[in-house]
Formats: sequence, structure tokens, C-alpha cells
Amino acid sequence: MTEKQDEDIRIGIFVCHCGTNIGGFVDCEQLAEYATTLPNVAHSEHNLYTCSETGLAAIRNAVKEHNLNRVVVASCTPRTHEPLFRDCVQEVGLNPYLFNFVNIRDQCTWVHMKETDAAFEKAKDLIKMGSAKAAKLEALERIVVDINPIALIIGGGISGMNTAISLSKQGFKTHLVEKEDKLGGRLKSLYKLFPNDQEASAFLEDMTKKVEASKNLTVYTSSKIKSIEGFIGNYNVEIEQNGDIISLNVGAIIVAVGASVFEPTNLFGYDGEKSITQLELENKLKNNEVDANNIVMIQCVGARNEERVYCSSICCMTALKNALIIKEFNPDAHVTILFRDIYTPGIQYEQYFKKARKAGVLFIKYTLEKLPLVDKNEIKVFNEYLGEEILIPYDLLVLSTPLIANNDNSDLAQMLKVPLEENNFFLEAHVKLRPIDFATDGIYICGSAKWPVDITESTTQGLAAASRASRILSHETIEVESSTAYLPEWNKSLCKGCEVCITICPYNAIIKNEDDEIEIIQALCKGCGTCGSTCTKHAIEIKHFNNEQIMAEIIAFGGKIIE
Amino acid sequence: MSFEPRILGFLCNWCSYAGADLAGVSRIQYPPNIRVIRVMCSGRVDPEFIFKALKLGIDGVIITGCHPGDCHYIEGNYEAVKKFELVQKLLSKLNMEKRIRLEWVSASEGNRFAEVITDFTNQIKELGPSPLSGKDLDMELMEKLEALEMAAESYRLRALVGRERKITEQENVYGEKYPKEKFDNLFDAAINNEYIRNRILLSLEKNPKSVKDLATQLNIDSKEILNHILVLKGRNQVAMEDIIENQPIYLNVMER
Amino acid sequence: MVENSKSILVIGGGVAGIQAALDLGDMGINVHLVEKRPCIGGKMAQLDKTFPTLDCSICILAPKLSECYRHPNITLHTLSEVQKVEGSSGQFSVEIFKRARYVKEDVCTGCGDCATVCPVRGVKNYFDVDLMTQAAAYIPFPSAVPPAYLVDKESCVYLNYGICGLCIQACGAEAIDFTQTDTSLTLDNISSIIVAAGYSLIEDTVPLKKFGYKKYKNVISALEFERLICASGPLEGHLKRLSDGKEPKKIAFLQCVGSRDERNKDYCSSICCMYTTKEAMIAYEHDNNLETYVFYIDMRAGGKGFQKFLHRGEDEYNIKYIKSKIAQISVDNKGNPKLVYENYDTNKIEQLKVDLVVLATCIIPPEGIDELAISLGIELDENKFIKTNPFYPMETTREGIYVCGCVHEPMDIPRSVAEASSAAAKAAELVRGGEF
Repeated sequence: MTEKQDEDIRIGIFVCHCGTNIGGFVDCEQLAEYATTLPNVAHSEHNLYTCSETGLAAIRNAVKEHNLNRVVVASCTPRTHEPLFRDCVQEVGLNPYLFNFVNIRDQCTWVHMKETDAAFEKAKDLIKMGSAKAAKLEALERIVVDINPIALIIGGGISGMNTAISLSKQGFKTHLVEKEDKLGGRLKSLYKLFPNDQEASAFLEDMTKKVEASKNLTVYTSSKIKSIEGFIGNYNVEIEQNGDIISLNVGAIIVAVGASVFEPTNLFGYDGEKSITQLELENKLKNNEVDANNIVMIQCVGARNEERVYCSSICCMTALKNALIIKEFNPDAHVTILFRDIYTPGIQYEQYFKKARKAGVLFIKYTLEKLPLVDKNEIKVFNEYLGEEILIPYDLLVLSTPLIANNDNSDLAQMLKVPLEENNFFLEAHVKLRPIDFATDGIYICGSAKWPVDITESTTQGLAAASRASRILSHETIEVESSTAYLPEWNKSLCKGCEVCITICPYNAIIKNEDDEIEIIQALCKGCGTCGSTCTKHAIEIKHFNNEQIMAEIIAFGGKIIE
Repeated sequence: MSFEPRILGFLCNWCSYAGADLAGVSRIQYPPNIRVIRVMCSGRVDPEFIFKALKLGIDGVIITGCHPGDCHYIEGNYEAVKKFELVQKLLSKLNMEKRIRLEWVSASEGNRFAEVITDFTNQIKELGPSPLSGKDLDMELMEKLEALEMAAESYRLRALVGRERKITEQENVYGEKYPKEKFDNLFDAAINNEYIRNRILLSLEKNPKSVKDLATQLNIDSKEILNHILVLKGRNQVAMEDIIENQPIYLNVMER
Repeated sequence: MVENSKSILVIGGGVAGIQAALDLGDMGINVHLVEKRPCIGGKMAQLDKTFPTLDCSICILAPKLSECYRHPNITLHTLSEVQKVEGSSGQFSVEIFKRARYVKEDVCTGCGDCATVCPVRGVKNYFDVDLMTQAAAYIPFPSAVPPAYLVDKESCVYLNYGICGLCIQACGAEAIDFTQTDTSLTLDNISSIIVAAGYSLIEDTVPLKKFGYKKYKNVISALEFERLICASGPLEGHLKRLSDGKEPKKIAFLQCVGSRDERNKDYCSSICCMYTTKEAMIAYEHDNNLETYVFYIDMRAGGKGFQKFLHRGEDEYNIKYIKSKIAQISVDNKGNPKLVYENYDTNKIEQLKVDLVVLATCIIPPEGIDELAISLGIELDENKFIKTNPFYPMETTREGIYVCGCVHEPMDIPRSVAEASSAAAKAAELVRGGEF
């Protein structure tokens, strides 16, 4: 179709009494009568409850009897009842998008109960506007996207491995790409795991066995993502492994690249020997190299300050864990933790905190304004509670440093066209209700790549990502929103290629294709319509809310335009 | 009879329309003057819609959307603000900017919806009927409004509005942000220019005129008119038709 | 993709249960979602806004509610509870007890005519934490899902005395049905069960006398505060004191009420530091002269954007955080609460007079958890939360039974949602195991 075709419009209008909720305030019979005077209206009637089985039958009969090709129901709200009526018209062979809703209850009789004359006039106008829009409605094709049921997981740490194992178990062919030569990520460098002191190596070994046993899973170690093209259901990905390029086609992508550890250069005498990080301590504990008697740990080193506002959330538990391990080896050791707030939420972590206090670990609060001062053999810390400075001797100082975003996150983000937040962690679609999704469908995020998390949350999020991706991969095709933005053939010549639409689309649904033409990827568009109202040349149209339809509503209310 | 304004409302589906429904469910009463057009997002509201409504003599137009940060489509409501600001700036040239309003109403704010509508209805009542609503139309005002509409439709202004957030809120490759103030100055100048250029075009559509004629009719300095004419010539929107008494006479050559 | 006829049972229709059901439903797997209340949405539906984005809670939740309701693969059982579970992982058989609604769910148009004519008033509504009352025919909140009214069995005149029946006459849709009875139904072929039964709050079981809760009208719980400040709540969002209707100018928010407390629960409720900051912010938005004080032990703000949120609270919303332990609460003759506390930063005993006290009360396992655990054959921990695998918190002590959300540990919404998806993944693995 290169231009719009006119058709004979036959509208049916059904006015609902909703018991007395509408009928008790306005005369529905008269409204139905008024409706017959409107252009293109071939039939109108009023029903006690249009949404009841009787009412729905009346719609179906009228469509057949009067050969209607548009249906308007004037009743309650589309938010609750539109799906019902759409199904109803579909049953008699009408495209569901040829149905239009007019709200004369929630937004008319219920809110103008004492002004029934005005409510009646308003209901008339609303029906007139709804009918005018109905005349301009177009049948919309269902948009169907093919799904290649294969997953790609970027990052073979704890969360990525869990995603991969689960997807493989669910029966999906899965590719797991890791840039290092072994799987495991941060887990490789840990000694024991809180809260039950399990050996990290044993945990990792168990996990690695599961990966190896996964029939549908292919692992690519020492590999890097080179390029990603495409959209939900159909991504072309290039991986570089030892100089070779491997091409994959996948339906969904999971980002599980983890995070890096902040190095406390020039902070608290950090030298890697007497002043070390928690991660370095883990290594020493693993090799039984800790022979210090006075151990001091400082929390929030390089975190919760002006430069890095956030709390890394795992360091308190790490410190408690290592303090307890030291105490276990050497009950006479003095372990002091200098903290700002102890972050041990929930049940087990709070118990762990209690356990550390019982074991004799000393906790001293410090503030950002008065940071501890590290001398050669002792640490000065101002304690507000006592109102004085305390001197603590030490022979090992351990700095709890935060997880920070990987410095190559932005490269991956650009390839995937997904956003990062201000600390360069990946930004999910919605922090509250879509914690594992990106705004772009088909791409998911889990583990510390999104925000610092411990093992427990990493496994949880890894599995959660498997679930989110499985929703897509489980289907040969998926149907996406039909009322999307599009660039009709007949408008293509209008487009000047200014790309403003690309800039404002929150879903990266608009691209410039190989022919240098604007292309709207229907599979990604959510139909907000902002590109339509932004398009500098009015070339983009919004299905079901196009300019012609909205203008028809405006004119129906306002009268004819005087040009 | 007291003046009962005709008000048009654009409500976003996810927050405001739900808020309006909640007002209904809670039976909160508000004036019956408003007629609602449901859109999926407040960002959908094209400046064109507002101008069309005002040209039809509708007394007031209100747009309601999700609160900042709540947008179902992530940032559509921020785009709505930019479009609204453009229309507001344009309408202020005719002192009509109080006839439009943008408000945030969430799905739980049935009360607030009723309050906002009541307040806006009262505001329009105070302003009185739209100067374009009666039978005797003020044709000059209509022409001015049309020039504003054409300005809002112009590539330059639409492009500026569409790019504003990127320009002023995001850093360029050098890590710099374009200062908001600087952008506003640029924007204001563009609004002014496009308005005058469209007034010139509308005037030349009726009959060809000289720069001097235009300056008198539009009450604008002839030098400025000449500058605009040169721009419009460059855009192939006007052409010289004739020279009368040593004065070039210009004509609107746009296809409409 | 080949699917078998097996279903998954999700217990609890709060945000976690909804998410688990939606994920599974979207995968093409049949789900039975069982909810004890007349409608789904759980605690999240009762909240005004959510941290740290200050999103309107119902605005972001409502689309999920209706998606769940309309989902072709999800069967919703409201007013229902699990009674008996037989079989084992991969092949459970579950008996559900369903209380009568006395309204035909699929016929009710939600118009509310029944409530208008109902002569019974003063029936307490759990949704507004009993702060608002209603008729015996009611809907818990206007956008409840399913969008159907119900009749309260205890207070309905017709059900108790056989007279009245006004609602029957008023209902033009003929949806009222007093012939409905409580029923049992059996769901067979249940591959696995996801428990998302949510939580209760300590004030539901412990009097909290030390804090003057229920004794002083101007000492309220955080959940009560949410309803009072919510635009669709009992005060239509205009925060006032329950004692005299005055607008509070000074509010104290007390953390760790019943949590991290040797005499009550020793664990941390995880979410209170953040929601308290949120509540103080919302209150400030209603009144820019408001002073708020948060009395806390440790600030627990590890989630995404949480620290920044606290800073905003201090810098832009005039919130003062006091590291302290509350010693005593009393009220003066005007009902103004007075707090005596030990300030941990200054090591001094101080006091503060305020207009309103809001208690961040401890999250406890949901009512009926013992019975549920017995019928499911799963273990509880010493606090009666569901016992889970430390590294796989969605796994219970029994194969084929998974868990998500606050029923096993207090947690915030994003974590509940992520756990719900993780439980769904586990359930999907099981239902599809060996099929390929």
C-alpha cells in the first residue's frame, strides 16, 4: 500500500447505562438517539450493561446485522474494559483496533453528579469525539517477531554461570563468553564465603562441574565481544577468541560482566604489605600467611565519600567474615573494625555481626569528617561517643574497598545501546519493578555489573536473568505492541534525516539503516508517540493515535477549522 | 448566563487518565467543562494539537502526565515539558499563554486531578472567552495565531525542541555541556525570528508587498524585515515578483 | 516449544508472587496464583510511594495487576488458601480452600451500587490498616484486581439474619449471589510450588507498649503513615494527627522498633532506613516547613542509589538523622509525644518533643506460616521465616518447593522481584526437565 485508501465507514455506537451509574444521571436513550445524527453512524443503541453477556451479544448481533466496521462503546473506562470489548469485536471478525472507547462514567456522570444537564452535554461531546476518532481508526496488523531460541551470556562469573546453567537446563542452547581464561570471576580470588564459611574453591568447583555437565552450553574463555547488531530475537554477535572471530546468532543477551575492586592508592598507607585490601587478605588467609596479632580494618575506604557516594554493600560482611576467620585461627589476636555504619541487613547477616561481637571483635565508629590517621605502628581514630582520640596499635591494616564499575563497561554499553548510571554501572529499566531488564527488550542485566552484590544476590539475579530471557526464548515468535510509531511509505520523502527521533526514543527503536533511511524497529517500539510529536517533518505517524485521529477528536469538539 | 469555558484535556494513559478515573470512582466532583483526549504519553502531545484547538476557539487546553521520574515510557513527560514550553513562549506573544497548562497527576491522585481541573477551569473563567470563540472573529489575531502555529511547525523550532535535552543535559564528546542559559537565548531568538518570518509569509500570501509595506503592516523595523526576507528567499519561500518605484515586491511562493 | 500439562502453584499475590506468576505465564507455563485476600497487590499496593525514585506505588504496580488478571496462562484464586499438599517434586497435588465472595466475580461490573445501598457501616478495611471503615459490601481499594466487590460474611445482615438483601435489588448486573459457599478444590499435576506469602508486621502480634503504640493516638506505624499520606487513603493525602486533626510540624521516625532488639527480634528488617527516609521526604513535600528526625542505630543503605537518597534527604528535605537508642516515650496533655533517648554520637541523654511519632516496625513472618510450612513439608528458621539455602535463597528444604520475597527474609521490592524471577527459573527448569 503506497497511499491510504478510503472505505465505507459504518460506525455502531453502544451507550451503557451501567445500571444507574450512568443512566441515573444522563438520559442514555437520548444519547443513543443523538449518536445516530453523527457522521458515519449506521447504528446506535443503549444497554443496561454493555459489558454483560447480553450487552456483548447485542454488539455482535449489530455488527452482523448492520454490517458495522467500527464499534464505539460509551461506558466506563478503557483501562479496565477495553480488552473485553476488543475481544468481543474480534469474535465477529472486526480488527480489535477498530473499537473505540468513550468514558462517560468515571470521567463524566460520577464526577458531575449534581450537574446532570452539563454532564449530558459533556457525554454528547465525548461520544461525538469518540465517533470522529472511530471513523479514522485503522485496522492494525499484529506485529510478530521471530525468536532464535539461543542465549548469549557475557561474563562467566557467579551470576553469569548461574544464568547459563539454568537456561541450559530449561533446554535452550546457550553461549557463555568469559574474557579470562577460566570461569569464576571474583569467586576465584576468595577464600571462604559468608555467612556459612564455605570454601570458595569448593563452591566454584561445584559450579564448574554443573557448567561442564550442561548439555546445551558452550563456553568461550579468553574471549571478547567484538560487535553486536540486531534486536530482540535476532542478534548477530561477533566474538574474538585467541585472534579468531566467531559469529553467533542469538535471541537474547544477558550482561553479567561483574565489577572491579577499587585500589586504595595513597590511602591509609596502602602498600600491599602492612596495609592491604580485603582481597589481598583473602589470599593471605588462603595461604596461611597471616601472622599478625593486632589487626585493624577500615571500612568504606574510597566509598561513601564525595567522589564515590555509594555503599558497596558487601564490604561489612567481608570484613566480619575475615575478622572471624582470624579470630578462629588465633583467638588471642586483636581485631578492630573502624566503621561508619555496619551494613548487615536481614537475618543471617545481623546474626553474623552479633557473632563477631561475641568473638571479641572490637567495633569503633569513625566519621567522614575525622578519618582515621595511619602512623607507622598505630592508628589514631577520633571516637565521638567517648569524645576523644584513641590510639590503636597494629601490625596489619586491612582496607575494605568498594566494588567499582569495570572501566570497559561503556564499550559494551555502546555495542548494546544500553545506558550506564552515574557510577558507570549498568542501568536497569526500572530500579523497582524491572531490576533485571534493560529498557530494550531482549537484553538483561545481573550481578555486580549492575550494582555491588554478594554471592547470594549474584546467584539470585543470575537465575532471575535466566527467567526473564526464558520468557522470550520460550516462543518461536512473539507478538509486540501493535500501536507503534512508523514511517509510512507515503511519508518517506518527507524525512530529512535530522535524527531527532533517534535522540529522543527511550527504547533505541529508531535507527538509520544501511540505505541511510530512518527505520523504526517495530519490535522495540512501545508506542509512546513522542517521536511523532517531535519529528521535524511530521513524517512519523503513531498507529492508533495518529495526527488525523487526534485532530478528528479536536475538531469534533471545537468545530470546523477556519483556514 | 455565566461564561462556561470549553476546555480540552490531553491525559496520559498510565498516570493521569488513571487519576481521573480514580476521581470518578471516589465521586470527587469537578466542573464539567473539560473534554478529554486520551494519549498514551504526555510526550505524544504535538504543539500542533494545541494550536489547532485554540484556533477553533477552545478556551483552554490542559495536558496532564506522570510525575517526573514516573513516566511509563521512561522520559516522555520530560519531552512533554519541552514542547509545552515552546507553545507557552509562542503564545505569550499574544498574551494567550495562560490558556494552556501542563500538570502532573499520578494514578493515586484522584483528588489532585479534580483540584487541577477545578483550578484551571476557574483560571479560564477569569480570563474570559477565547478571543477566537465568538462569531465575530478577530482576523488579525487569527493570522497571528496562525503565524505562531507555523513557527511551531517549522523545522528549526521542532529540531531545537527535539534536541534541547540532549544539548543542555548531556555532555558532548569533549565532556562539556551547553549552558542552559545560552540555549535559552538561542531558542528565544529562534522563536522570535520564526514568528516574524511566518507573519511575513502569511501577509505575502494574500498579496505581494515591499519591505516597506511589510514594515508598516507588521510594525517592525524595515531592516529586520529585510533580513528575514533574505532568509526566506534563501529557503525558497519568497521570491521577488516585481520592482515598483525602485522597490522590490515580494511574493510567497510556498506550496500549501 | 513443547509444553506439558503441568502447572506451577504460586502462593501469595503480592509483588513477588505476581512477578513469579507473570514470568512463568509469559514462558507459556500454566500457573495457579493463590491469594488469601480478596484482591492481589499485597503490601506494595498499600504504599504511597517507593524509594529511591519516589515512584507512585500503585501507578507502577497497577499494570502488573491487570496483566496478571488477564494473562491466559494464569488462573487467579482469590480468597483462597492452601490446605493440603500431597505428592512430591514434579507431581504435587494441592487442595485449596476458597472462601465465598458472595458476588459473581465475572459478572460484577465494579459499579459499587451494592456498597451504596448496604445498610451496614463501620466494617474495617484491612487495606487502609483499619483506619477507614466501609459497608459490608465492599472493594478493598478502587483499582483492586479482580475488579469485583465482595460481601463481608461477618457483618452482612442478610448472611447473618436472612433479612435485607438490598444489594441484590440494587445490583442491576445481578452479580450478588448469596448461594455461594466456601469450597475446596484440588489442583493436580502441580510440578512445583513457589511460596511468596509475604510478611506481617510486629504490631500485628506484639503490643509495642514501650513505644505507646495504640495507647497514644499520635504514635502510628509506618504502614499507617503510608495510608494516611496516600492521596487515595483515609485522609486523602492531607497528613493530620489522629488525635486532634492538626497538621504535624515535627515528626520523629523511630527505626528498629522490635528489630535488632534483644527483647523482641534480633534481626534487621532491612528496608526501614530507606522507607523512613522516603516517608520523611513525602511528608516534607506536603509541608516545606516540616522538621523530621530519624532515630537510628546503623544506616542501612546499600542498594542502588540509596546513599544518594539519604544525602538528598538531609540536604533537600530537612531530615535530621540521630544515631541513638530510644529510652522512653510519653505524651503531654495535648497529646504531643516526648522522646527521651541516648544520643550515640554525643554519649548524652537528650529529649525531643514532637507532634507525631512514626514507628518503623519489625517485619515478621506472615500469619499462618506454621500451618503453611506443615502442609508444604518445609522447615522454618528460628524466627519462623522459611529456611533457605544460604547461596540459593529461592530453595527451601524441600525439593520442588521454592520461595521468594519477605516470607524467608525481610527485603526490599527490587530484591523480591529478582527473587521471584529466580524462583520462576527454578520452577521452569523442573517443569521442562528432560524434555529436550
